[in-house]
Amino acid sequence: MSLRIGVDTGGTFTDVVAFDDVTQHVHVRKVSSTPDDPGRAILRGVSEILDQIGGRNISEVNYFAHGTTVGTNTLLTGNGVLTGLITTEGFRDLLELGRGRRPDMYDARADKPAPFVARRHRFEVAERLRSTGEVERELDEGEVREAARQLKSAGVEAVAVCLLYSYVDPKHERRIADIIREEHPEAYVSLSSEVLPEFREYERLSTVVTNAYVGPVVYRYLAALREKLAAEGLTAVPHITQSNGGVIPFATAEAMPVRLVLSGPSTGVVGAAQICSAAGFDDIITFDMGGTSSDISLVQGGRPKVTSGMELDGRPIRSPMLDIHTVGAGGGSLGWIDTGGHLRVGPESAGAFPGPACYGNGERAAVTDANVVLQMLNPEYLLNGQMKIDREKSVDAVRRLADPLGLSVEETALGILRVVTANMARALRVVSVQKGYDPRDYALVPFGGAGPLHASRLARELGMSRVVVPEIPGAQSAMGLLMTDVKADFMRTRITSLTHETASQVANVFAELSAEAAAWFAEEDVAEEGRRLVRRLDLRYAGQNFELPVEMPEELGEDGMEVIAQAFHAEHERVYGYSSPEARLEAVTFRVEAQGSAPRVELRHSELGGEDPSGAAIGTRETCFDPKEGFRSITVYDRSKLMPGNVVQGPAVVEQMDTTTILLPGDRCVVDSLRNLVITIGEEA
Amino acid sequence: MTTSARATGQLDPVIVEVVGSALSTIVEEMGETLVKAAFSPNIKERRDCTAGLFDAEGLALAQDEGGSPMHLGSLMGIVGAIRGRFSEADIREGDVFIGNDPYTGGGSHLPDIVLASPIFVGGRISAWAATLAHHADFGDRGHAHIFQEAIRIPPVHLVREGVQQEELLSLILLNCQIPEERTADLRAQEAALGVAITRYQELCSRYGVDVIEGVSSNLLDYTERRTRAAITEFPDGEYTFEDLFDAPELDEELTLRVRIRISGDEMLFDFSGNPPQVRASVNVVWTGLYATVYYTLKTLIDPDIVPNAGLYRPVTIVADEGSILNCTAPAAVNGRIETCQRVVDLIHGALVDALPERVTAASNGAVTGVHFSGHDASRGRDFVYLETIGGGSGACHDKDGLDGVQVHMTNTSNLPVESLEAEYPLVVESYELIEDSGGVGRHRGGMGIRRKIRVEAPDVHFWLDTSRQKSQPWGLFGGGPGQSARCVLSEDAQPVDHGYTVLQPGQTASIETAGGGGYGPPEERAEAQLAADRADGRISEATAQQCRQD
Repeated sequence: MSLRIGVDTGGTFTDVVAFDDVTQHVHVRKVSSTPDDPGRAILRGVSEILDQIGGRNISEVNYFAHGTTVGTNTLLTGNGVLTGLITTEGFRDLLELGRGRRPDMYDARADKPAPFVARRHRFEVAERLRSTGEVERELDEGEVREAARQLKSAGVEAVAVCLLYSYVDPKHERRIADIIREEHPEAYVSLSSEVLPEFREYERLSTVVTNAYVGPVVYRYLAALREKLAAEGLTAVPHITQSNGGVIPFATAEAMPVRLVLSGPSTGVVGAAQICSAAGFDDIITFDMGGTSSDISLVQGGRPKVTSGMELDGRPIRSPMLDIHTVGAGGGSLGWIDTGGHLRVGPESAGAFPGPACYGNGERAAVTDANVVLQMLNPEYLLNGQMKIDREKSVDAVRRLADPLGLSVEETALGILRVVTANMARALRVVSVQKGYDPRDYALVPFGGAGPLHASRLARELGMSRVVVPEIPGAQSAMGLLMTDVKADFMRTRITSLTHETASQVANVFAELSAEAAAWFAEEDVAEEGRRLVRRLDLRYAGQNFELPVEMPEELGEDGMEVIAQAFHAEHERVYGYSSPEARLEAVTFRVEAQGSAPRVELRHSELGGEDPSGAAIGTRETCFDPKEGFRSITVYDRSKLMPGNVVQGPAVVEQMDTTTILLPGDRCVVDSLRNLVITIGEEA
Repeated sequence: MTTSARATGQLDPVIVEVVGSALSTIVEEMGETLVKAAFSPNIKERRDCTAGLFDAEGLALAQDEGGSPMHLGSLMGIVGAIRGRFSEADIREGDVFIGNDPYTGGGSHLPDIVLASPIFVGGRISAWAATLAHHADFGDRGHAHIFQEAIRIPPVHLVREGVQQEELLSLILLNCQIPEERTADLRAQEAALGVAITRYQELCSRYGVDVIEGVSSNLLDYTERRTRAAITEFPDGEYTFEDLFDAPELDEELTLRVRIRISGDEMLFDFSGNPPQVRASVNVVWTGLYATVYYTLKTLIDPDIVPNAGLYRPVTIVADEGSILNCTAPAAVNGRIETCQRVVDLIHGALVDALPERVTAASNGAVTGVHFSGHDASRGRDFVYLETIGGGSGACHDKDGLDGVQVHMTNTSNLPVESLEAEYPLVVESYELIEDSGGVGRHRGGMGIRRKIRVEAPDVHFWLDTSRQKSQPWGLFGGGPGQSARCVLSEDAQPVDHGYTVLQPGQTASIETAGGGGYGPPEERAEAQLAADRADGRISEATAQQCRQD
């Protein structure tokens, strides 16, 4: 009787996945996105999938989760609201001074990101705390009131407040919030001590300003969507993805939109982690390749790696998030020849329009055109026939590069693939080798429209021996929405020397945060048995100015501090190659991640059948793997007809609605009991 | 060489691009390893370091670009210096060489310690790896000549065939003020060399050593082609410029000059006729001058160009031996970066008529360094706080300069106020842009920074390195100059003398850096931009009026 629905809004498509609790079936629907009003595509997709399942009603939906890039897009396009700032006297320019670096070392023309608050809307007020929390100068409330009035008359819709040391004592920020609410009650007010009670003033300031700037936009979007869904008859509480890979109810998200802004690719990773864990692969590197970029992240022991922040367009955002690295390499990335005569690919992309040459509107060769030329991709149509392909256009486009290079069309097409593979390999090394992980110990898990097409080549480039392609790679993020938890993060900076004497202080801070988490669980109605807390402590050697997070044991016993110290030394050794067991340790930021189980899709294993895949063979295709050998005929399989237990020997192509998996010569692919394609990379090619 | 040449003939541009990307990845990984494994904040957080790969002859193939531009090319002499000093038989697999002396093959000043290793493939040297890191040691020194600045180390074996030379290391460490930090940082440099050796050998076993060496020589040709292609577009001619240079250490301003000749696809940078080297720290050794010219050329040609030895080929650099821009032993060199900043402006100034759309007006022209040290009784320890403060960058033909940034030869981060006040007996009272500091113009110069610091401990030693206190960063095509730099102490404080004073509790030092020059006549500034600058307090009403009237 009940259904669970995940809706992921992307730039081109809105993916809808529905899981039927009764039949235990997963249904997938793709509709075109409607960027002017994303809700339209969402409602259409939901209505279509209900019909597809067989005339079901939205009132049967007992769980609804949504992933959106509305926050990210607001930031990238600069379409947030007019925002003001109130800060400590002497520091209004911090927002643009940042850490003092210029944006590009060698490009004198590169611009700094325009601050989200104009200088004229940044007000300083007399007040000053010291690092201990001692008040050196009392807050001048008259100045605050005057600033609030001026901000109101300037027409600002949101006000960010960020004072020095507010993470130690938020009282001045809170008092400022009261005054703003009196003077400008309609304003969306955002306090740095609430959004990010962590030290380092610039990062905290940038984060709270971002939160204020996107706040009203996200708030309106979610409120409107909530209303529309309710009007359609949805009774379940709608949930939304956060950058940390978990979901929270819409209403909770409205207060802390900055925690949504990098949520786009996160559930895809969460879903992949669960699917692969169930399939026996706990250590994976996900590779989500779309039209303009690829997102890469590392999953260790079944858990995605998290980080506490990143930069978006040059502006730091500190917020708990999955550690996802993006590189400008996608199916639409364009090939070009530089002034030294080298073939380069990307980061310029053909985008949705004109798109690759084979779509008929563009002249320049994209990665997709290279795949069409070599017939890695179906040279006639994609998306089950919804998208016509003109191979001649691809050939012409690639030839424009081939002639000046003095190479054949096929050599050039292969060259494009090799160069883009090298670019992606470089990005993959960033999340693995540069963080102390050897990619050869991981399975590569491709998804997105173009991931499975390039995975085998990428795995070879990095010496990885295993690729696992999930069942629905084209709607992985929507799928992940049905496989994630409700999740909230609580943190606080308390710089504390780590010794036996301070054990109780450490325990107290965690107790405070755990109490906040407990209150949140109660508010969200998370069942007692489904609650889980992960406690992390950011530590450093005294005298250093960067921290490493260490996961805390469940219970801190007598030797608790010792256990923590050992864990830190070990982590330091792993990441930096050495540790200093004799050095003094400092605890810096305390973190509690609260997870509550949401209803999840149960993954069902099927019986393995015979190895013979011929039942899924739907034809052959002439494909070129090596220009010296020319085109050779390979078998094309229909993914939906491949059965668990089937074995496919490369070279071969596996087609499904929204993606194509290429097995290079020597690859061996087994369909596992979860219908994943588990590919063992061959020695040759 | 013959094998390389043979391999070269068969290489297509795709393999060169793919392997070139792999070589760049190696130097990036070296840089990451070095930064990660280092202990001292100057390397770890300010990234004052670099890493490079060289061919068997010592030609630079690829260099990590994450670090300071001051190091671009600083490593170019190292392999040659080692090969000149040791016979082939004395360079073995597992060797690591160490050196820091700018006059015998180190970096461009003594804190830059270089470590280098040969990379053996199939029993012979196929390439070299080197790392350079600025070890923030050697404080409170004189700068009359180099012997006062730090221990001088010529390139010598730190490790012989895998065996650490402990006696040498103990000699070096005895001459360092924070030996534990040096040990950790040197270990980080060695770790980065290890990464280079492993990765390079992996590449050779995958593609074959002949292909890798062939690609290496192709990559130099490739960068050379891109450089020549860009220079060809520059109008031929001879271009000159001179500018004033000041530093707190110098009693008088010096006049620096350059003559640039562009002919076809080649460029000559002639620094003849510059003042003789001085008894102060601002002399520049030739590798420092080369790094400055290559940095400037890369920014003018194409920021994306790979900085390898191919970039050097179409370029000739000339400077009188014994002059401030090509000093000889025993000239002191510790503060060479101040001078190098002015050299960048000189080149831009010279090329104004040739490349009006590529050059910028003068930037703040300094690496403003403030240095506080003393005893912190409340925390029971000595302290040293060092910070560099950015300023305005120069405007260019179609946009304003950037407000408050590090320019040209440096790009280090500041320390958060919430970190520094927790560590030192210092209070930051303000950190802000200075109204009217950017030169007026159709495009405004970037604004300088004011950072005001109060001292809370007695007898705090304060040193200031900066420039443009006596002159102003110039504007172009009618654009006004940026405001000069200055340092204002609270009234009761002892004045700064040659960049030094002692501060007492409650006294403040307000350090102001210069703004950038403007570009184009101020009366051509769009009214909307003037109004915005005025509303944002970037210019005063008087300045706005003056621009409207001019």
